[in-house]
Amino acid sequence: MTLDQLLTDTKPALTQIYSDDLPELTETRDWQSKYRILMQLGRKLPPIPEKMKQPAFLVRGCESRAWLMHYYNEHHDQHFFVLDSEARIVKGLMAIMLCLVNGMSNAELKKFELAQAFDKLKLKPYLSQSRSSGLAAMMHRIKDCCH
Amino acid sequence: MQHFDPVNFRDQFEYFQQNPSWVYLDNAATMHKPKRVIEAVSNFYQRNNSNVHRGAHSLSQKATRAFEQARDDIAAFINAETRQQIIFCSGATAALNQIAFGLMHTLLQPGDRILITALEHHANIVPWQLHCTRFGVILDVVPLNADHQVDQQSFTTMLANKPKLVSFSHVSNVLGHVQPIADMVQQAKKAGAITVIDGAQGIVHEQVDVQALDVDFYVWSSHKLYGPTGNGVLYGKAGLLEQLTPIHGGGEMISEVQFSHSLFNILPFRLEAGTPDIAGVVGMAAAVNWLQKFNIDEIKEYKAMLLKQFFSGLSKINGLDILSSPVHNAGIVALNVQGEHPADVAELLNQQRVAVRAGQHCAMPLFQQLGLAGAVRFSLAPYNTEADVTNSLQALAQAVEILTA
Repeated sequence: MTLDQLLTDTKPALTQIYSDDLPELTETRDWQSKYRILMQLGRKLPPIPEKMKQPAFLVRGCESRAWLMHYYNEHHDQHFFVLDSEARIVKGLMAIMLCLVNGMSNAELKKFELAQAFDKLKLKPYLSQSRSSGLAAMMHRIKDCCH
Repeated sequence: MQHFDPVNFRDQFEYFQQNPSWVYLDNAATMHKPKRVIEAVSNFYQRNNSNVHRGAHSLSQKATRAFEQARDDIAAFINAETRQQIIFCSGATAALNQIAFGLMHTLLQPGDRILITALEHHANIVPWQLHCTRFGVILDVVPLNADHQVDQQSFTTMLANKPKLVSFSHVSNVLGHVQPIADMVQQAKKAGAITVIDGAQGIVHEQVDVQALDVDFYVWSSHKLYGPTGNGVLYGKAGLLEQLTPIHGGGEMISEVQFSHSLFNILPFRLEAGTPDIAGVVGMAAAVNWLQKFNIDEIKEYKAMLLKQFFSGLSKINGLDILSSPVHNAGIVALNVQGEHPADVAELLNQQRVAVRAGQHCAMPLFQQLGLAGAVRFSLAPYNTEADVTNSLQALAQAVEILTA
């Protein structure tokens, strides 16, 4: 497995999450179903193989570990990401984050506000635990990819 | 002394009236405070607030009386020989740091050994580590047995290495296991070691008599004993407290200061630099005085009953990996849902308004030994109800169902 391959596999998964799962998630009323969907989202992202989980890619949350890999296409000014997390719910939430930012230009990524985006999708309640779950740390790391 | 009535006991906590839909099982992290404690703190600020020990006015004397009365109350609570042996500090962490810093270079010399156990909280590992490296003191660790209790045989064997100091927790903050502290202190003393007990989780579990234990140091945090956050107690034998180098220098702890040197004040003041958390200490004493109105054995029995109910319910949920043992347990259960990350379990419990903690609980070396990423910790208090236990079990079963569906 290479980063190229992971990026290739992640891209269609994110597109599908954005078009199919996100609307379903916002429409679902009961919390049990919402969490079932969130956990499935995590499963849709290809896992980063253990061997590739180098310390440099580790994003430390408080309770679980996550990893982020990044590729910047200079020619098209686009940022692409691959991520993984030990915790399934966190991975699901991070998958949503990723489908919002994947492919963004440098300027777009700089401007991106996670809280606003989640609010629009009626997902803000899930951000309440963002510090302890590591979501905030992941967002910082994604933003750090800007230059 | 009041007969312990769980309903009446719970009624004394305003917090539960404010948050009726929550099941709070994160008591090992911090406990809730009875009205009596909140009133004592607010009363102090409203009526008695002044700085202590130094005012030229009678208002300061009033504040000093309240503060020093608290010292008397705490001394009586653990049966300390004298009131001077109660040192107020910011909590168990600060107390352990003071002991570690204070003994290095005085009693602890390069080549000396310190013995701790494998289930210690970071607060009883890192302060030693910080100074051990610098002063050439060796840190040894007693391993756990298959039941995740401190292996007593290894403890005895390792005492033969003549550690200069032995430090262990009264109750494990992760597993809830109660250590045989009286026996461990006796053995350590026989081997000639200074004994330190981290009572952060133990002081709330049972009555502590420092003279009967004959322990050299016993420390705890007030917020885990129904009191305010930000303060705690360092108890020590007078002769040893005298030999501690103060970790903090400043006002109050000196009798004479010149630019060339300073003379330290007498105990307890030499170890209490700066303005103390006066209102917090008053609240701490109010908590202890309030608690002593209840029969502590009945409280212990009630908590044991809740724990039994919890364990019995757990046995009906499939796919759990339970780390805590039901025997010698102070009311804490660490567990995992097999194959699932503890953070996911805790989040699903949080959705159902069950407050627990997930992670490594400031005891990373313990989890390295267990080979686990962490655990979900349920910790009980006497204000919890049978309904709390039932609801948390239901919530856990629901979480398992969602995770494994």
